[in-house]
Amino acid sequence: MIVCVAVVGHQNNPLYIQSFTDADDALKLHHIVHCSLDVVDERVNNPKRSGPTLNETFLGLLYPTENYKVYGYLTNTKVKFILVTTDLDVRDVDVRNFFKRFHAAYADAVSNPFHMPGKKITSRTFAERVSTIVKSFGFSSAG
Amino acid sequence: MVDPANTPLGKMLLEEITPVVMVLCTPLVEESCLKNGLSFIQMLSPFSNFTNIDVPVRTASDQPYRLQKFKLRLFYASDIRQPNLEAAKKRLKEVITQAGEKDFSEMSSDPAEVRDLLSRPESEIIPTWFQFFNKELVRTLSFSDHEAFDHPVACLLVVSSKDEEPINRFVDLFNTNKLPSLLNDGAMDPKILKHYLLVHDNQDSDSEKATKLLTEMKNTFGPNDCQLLCINSSQDGQIHHQENPWAPFKSDALPSNNIGCFLNIDDLNEIKDLMQELSSKHIIPYMEQKIRILNQQVSATRKGFKNQIKNLWWRKGKEDALDSPDGPVYTFSSVESQIRILGDFAFMLRDYELALSNYRLISTDYKLDKAWKRYAGVQEMMGLTYFLLDQSRKEAEYCMENAFNTYIKLGPAGQQNAIRCGLWWVEMLKTRDQVKEAATVYFRICSEDPLHSAVMLEQASFCYLLSKPPMLHKYGFHLVLSGDHYKKCDQIKHAIRTYRNAVSVYKGTTWSLIKDHVYFHIGQWYAFLGMYDIAVSHMLEVLASSHQSKKTQELFLRDFLQTVQKSGKTFEVLKLQLPVINSSSIKVIFEDHRTYASAAAASVRERIWRSLEEDMVPSLSTARTNWLELQSKLIPKKYKESNICVAGEAIKVGIEFKNPLHIPISISSVSLICKLSPNPEERNSDENSSNLELPNEENETSTSSRYVCVVFVIYMHTNIFNSLNNYLCLYVYLACISACVNVVYARIFNFLQVQLTVTPMAEGILKIVGVKWKLSSSVVGFYNFESSSVNKKVAKGRRKAKHPPGDNLKFIVIKSLPKLEGRIHSLPEKTYTGDLRHLVLQLSNQSKVPVKNLKMKISNPRFLYAGNQRELNVEFPACLEKKTNAEQGGGHTNNNKMLQNLFVFPEDISVKEETSLSWPLWFRAAIPGNISLYITIYYEMEDVSNIMKYRTLRMHYNLQVLPSLDVSFELSPCPSRLQDFLLRMDVVNKTSSECFQVHQLSSVGRQWEISLLQPVNSILPSQSLFAGQALSCFFMLKDRRKSSTSEDSILSPSLLQSDVTLGRQGNNEALFDVSCSPLADFHSFERMQQGMSDQGVENKTDFIFISQLVKGNTDSGAPSTPLLFSHHACRCSLSRMSPVSWLIDGPQTIEHDFAASLCEVKLKMTISNSSDSVASVRVNTFDSPSNGIQSSDAAGTQTGVSSENQSGWFDIPAVNDMKVITTDALATRLAKSLSMESVSQFIWSGSSSTKVELQPRSTAEIPLQICVFAPGIYNLSNYTLNWNLISTKDEENQGEADKSSGVCQGYPYYLTLLQSS
Repeated sequence: MIVCVAVVGHQNNPLYIQSFTDADDALKLHHIVHCSLDVVDERVNNPKRSGPTLNETFLGLLYPTENYKVYGYLTNTKVKFILVTTDLDVRDVDVRNFFKRFHAAYADAVSNPFHMPGKKITSRTFAERVSTIVKSFGFSSAG
Repeated sequence: MVDPANTPLGKMLLEEITPVVMVLCTPLVEESCLKNGLSFIQMLSPFSNFTNIDVPVRTASDQPYRLQKFKLRLFYASDIRQPNLEAAKKRLKEVITQAGEKDFSEMSSDPAEVRDLLSRPESEIIPTWFQFFNKELVRTLSFSDHEAFDHPVACLLVVSSKDEEPINRFVDLFNTNKLPSLLNDGAMDPKILKHYLLVHDNQDSDSEKATKLLTEMKNTFGPNDCQLLCINSSQDGQIHHQENPWAPFKSDALPSNNIGCFLNIDDLNEIKDLMQELSSKHIIPYMEQKIRILNQQVSATRKGFKNQIKNLWWRKGKEDALDSPDGPVYTFSSVESQIRILGDFAFMLRDYELALSNYRLISTDYKLDKAWKRYAGVQEMMGLTYFLLDQSRKEAEYCMENAFNTYIKLGPAGQQNAIRCGLWWVEMLKTRDQVKEAATVYFRICSEDPLHSAVMLEQASFCYLLSKPPMLHKYGFHLVLSGDHYKKCDQIKHAIRTYRNAVSVYKGTTWSLIKDHVYFHIGQWYAFLGMYDIAVSHMLEVLASSHQSKKTQELFLRDFLQTVQKSGKTFEVLKLQLPVINSSSIKVIFEDHRTYASAAAASVRERIWRSLEEDMVPSLSTARTNWLELQSKLIPKKYKESNICVAGEAIKVGIEFKNPLHIPISISSVSLICKLSPNPEERNSDENSSNLELPNEENETSTSSRYVCVVFVIYMHTNIFNSLNNYLCLYVYLACISACVNVVYARIFNFLQVQLTVTPMAEGILKIVGVKWKLSSSVVGFYNFESSSVNKKVAKGRRKAKHPPGDNLKFIVIKSLPKLEGRIHSLPEKTYTGDLRHLVLQLSNQSKVPVKNLKMKISNPRFLYAGNQRELNVEFPACLEKKTNAEQGGGHTNNNKMLQNLFVFPEDISVKEETSLSWPLWFRAAIPGNISLYITIYYEMEDVSNIMKYRTLRMHYNLQVLPSLDVSFELSPCPSRLQDFLLRMDVVNKTSSECFQVHQLSSVGRQWEISLLQPVNSILPSQSLFAGQALSCFFMLKDRRKSSTSEDSILSPSLLQSDVTLGRQGNNEALFDVSCSPLADFHSFERMQQGMSDQGVENKTDFIFISQLVKGNTDSGAPSTPLLFSHHACRCSLSRMSPVSWLIDGPQTIEHDFAASLCEVKLKMTISNSSDSVASVRVNTFDSPSNGIQSSDAAGTQTGVSSENQSGWFDIPAVNDMKVITTDALATRLAKSLSMESVSQFIWSGSSSTKVELQPRSTAEIPLQICVFAPGIYNLSNYTLNWNLISTKDEENQGEADKSSGVCQGYPYYLTLLQSS
């Protein structure tokens, strides 16, 4: 189950962060997302040598904590997407697919002329779309 | 790479993994030592650490090497046991607490920025007590049974010379009962090196007895193993050691000058020699020997292929037998233990190769035996050995990890060991600059014990900070985690410290959830410690957290207020975020020469006023010669750009407070902070402008209390509050006393607009510094205007562009001036279109100086204009009624002046001191919509000596005008009479509820006479138009001007029927005179609005429709009298097609004897040209079978069409030349085509085509004649009228020029001929 998704701007400012748990653990998830930024930076600064991953947006598993797995994704505009999940066996394909759809949703949201670049994404449509994507992620990994 | 021994880990290992000497001493020995404030071990400790012992060592190999550094660890026998875990924990806690106290007191007030932090050396960043703590933590694990390096290598038996029978005491001391359990239960070899020491206190007696005893000892225990130590040689105890060697070993707070006070230099040297000898002569050789022995044994049993096979087989068999969870129990005599001891001894003597080979050997054994703890211990040692050998880093790390994991796997039993192993591992990683990995190890060390975890997490955080590049996010996160753990253990000071460090990470980011959490908890914890000031300052950071949930906000606010209350004082906070002040909303309204009648007027943009006042106030170029020059003389240069205000007149400052929270907050005591300083010119004698500020500062308090009085007015955006569905309570206390003490309580939601007023009472310079308020009656917030806003909006800053913004809050207060106050009485706010009223403008002058030269300008004269002074007290609407025979010149003559909207009051009018002036105004709601009326009144002071010569009073009113009646007119020519027109008036009541009474319709001007075609009673019996009702009315309109010219008769004006009453017939209601003042004036404004010129009115008429509203729902100023509505329609034009009209005049019925002759009838055609150009008209008659009545129209039409076609397109010359023929031909053709039997009963006689030229606006008569052959009714319509406008002199009427020619069919004209009898 995905517990949290986040969009973080290129100055490491949170643009959108949404948890999908019932528990009151927003603070914890904020911390996890915030922490994972270090790993993102690390990945970006020390890319793997191999060719095909040179322009890879998907950063892979950032770090496994005790209960969560954190995946990262970096757009060309240095906007980071963070995914926190409790599933322990997640297929990379699923995560890649998720990020692809998430990226599309994000691109649509920021294309809104009323969106201020660098400001938090407040679009309700975006939130709805993200929650659909998150839900469908659960299904595909379960099935 | 540095020598591994010189790295922190290497040093630590050299210190910690050293031979242990067990000390057994009698109480008397201790007693002697305690004279110096030291225990026996403490006394010896400084001298058991050798930096340059220089002892040759030869272990298993034959190659000797020299040992330089060496250290002995001395322990009392009672201490040689595994430390009590609880006690150890307690001790660690103490260490932490002490460190916390120390760090906390040293903590600087502000946490350093992360960047600053990084630039500092490492030693400054990391708290020093970590090292100490780690050491203590490692020490809790000493004397474990699975490791041999803590096993005592030697035993020091100490007896005092005072003891009875010292020899026996020595024997007693090494009694097995008293020995540590470690030695007794077989984990350690009890047969260890024994060394006998006799301690002699020189204070007690001479050393003779002691030497005697020593020889006795030597005889008993052997000459080498016995020694004498004489202490306390100083008799007076006044020895002061320059460098106290015991200081590092005696951490307890003791008066240090007493330590070792009886030990003189000889004693110290003796101790030094003793220890040196002990280590070099006894312990090291003993260890060498032991190593060699053990090595031989191990080689014999375990080395070689045969032994290995044997060992494997043997272990396999053993595996089945023993299956205890900790693996098999090994005694000191077992081979495994021996190997371990061998390894440890070799390690301690720095023969790492030997140690490693033995560790390797034993590790596989332990692994096979599943003795996991021992296995882990050996792995740990292997790792350390690898490290010290500086060989394979990978191997070292692998071993450490392996050891760590194995310990962890053991569960709680291995936890402590895991911590130690982890710490060593961390040090190893740190040495190799793998700081990040070190951090993860720290993280893994975290155990159940929250306190230890907290320290480890904090250390981990510093690792992240020090990693390259720094991982600040993780740094922050681990600090927060660590802080939480500290908090759990009630180490609040540590928690605060960690959180404060974390602040530096989160400060300035937008991770507000985390930030709030950190700040809030710091605040809370400080409050817990009773440091309320700092607590409050931290809590302030989270107060305005609008993103938090309502519950959290409540919590924040409640805690904050509680903290403030607990502190017991009123805080004054410079930047209180609650409520937020919208800096762009700050509006300063002041009056210099521009004064405002209302707040609404003040909020109107300056541009509007200026355009309105443009030609009224003296322009700058002319003004420069008088008052500006004067001003520049009066006002020092420095303050030239300040604003001017007048003493005694209020300056209003509008501030918008915004509550960013979801919960209500209460603020009170909102007040302005102002500074009024005496005018600089008074003290300007020394010409020193820089001096100016100083006296201002000094006088600040006194002046402000003496001269300034502050009044508060609060406006609420009620609609916002309503929409939020929140309740609102507001208590306003207005206070106006000389000292500015005012209280305003307001419980606010979302927005609150406050208008604060300051009224300077004396001349000088007034500066509005800021605003001050009280939150929840406990915290005072300040807001400094100048410092905090860049683009303040000073509404009236005329020279705004040139100003630095701060100056807009600086005012020069000049001495008081007269100020007019004006208001318009009973101006409705809401009315209907057409509403006509008589209003009164009242101007009052409260001051002692009269004002003169009044001028007034109104932005929208269609709605409002100034009347005549004599109209002031007239009765409305009676004054509008037509007076019989009264002179009608009531209207304004000077139309031009009115068009400029400028009204100049008569010269003799002035507003005297403390009086008021009333002036009539006429009001009419011209068009529906929301209308803003701007009125500005200019006046001049009689007292010329002032800076300001004139002032203006600006008034602003907003009206809402609703649509009322929709009146439209349609004018069509009367077919029967040339000068008459039919007028249709359609009136629709567009209101929703009002009921209008129709009253009167008037045409403007004298040239029209209007009359009703049918009485209004028949169409509208009640004379009232209800909501939505429509009325159509027909009138006859006569052009009296034409008739008068033609008839040449003069009618008296009173008889002219230009008005018609629509009211009840016979009702005595007077008609209103549309030509007199207000109606005529408004009409001319309407005309101006609807058209451009007054020319070309010939066919256009203006109408004024007047109705009344008896009882209106509108808020009328005078509800008793009916409201009058006038509707003006301008330029109603005839809806006639052609400019040429005609009439045929002649007898209607003729009796004639057809038997005698045919009948000739003479007719007269009157043609009128109503256009502005010359018209050429040709009348064509043609005979057609107009037999009877019915077919004539059709025939006429047909002929008309054909003739037009012919004349227009085919045979123009033919038509012109041979008209008769043509017409005849036509006639015959037509006759044929229609009916042969119906022969035309009449023919036109005379010329069949007549052409006339008609001058503009003239008429002409053409005689016509027909011959009738038989009696009957004839329709004489078989003619056409071709007209052609010849030369249009001016091209202005393009619309008419388009249709410059045309053909008209004849009207039906019926002629009845009867056969006369």
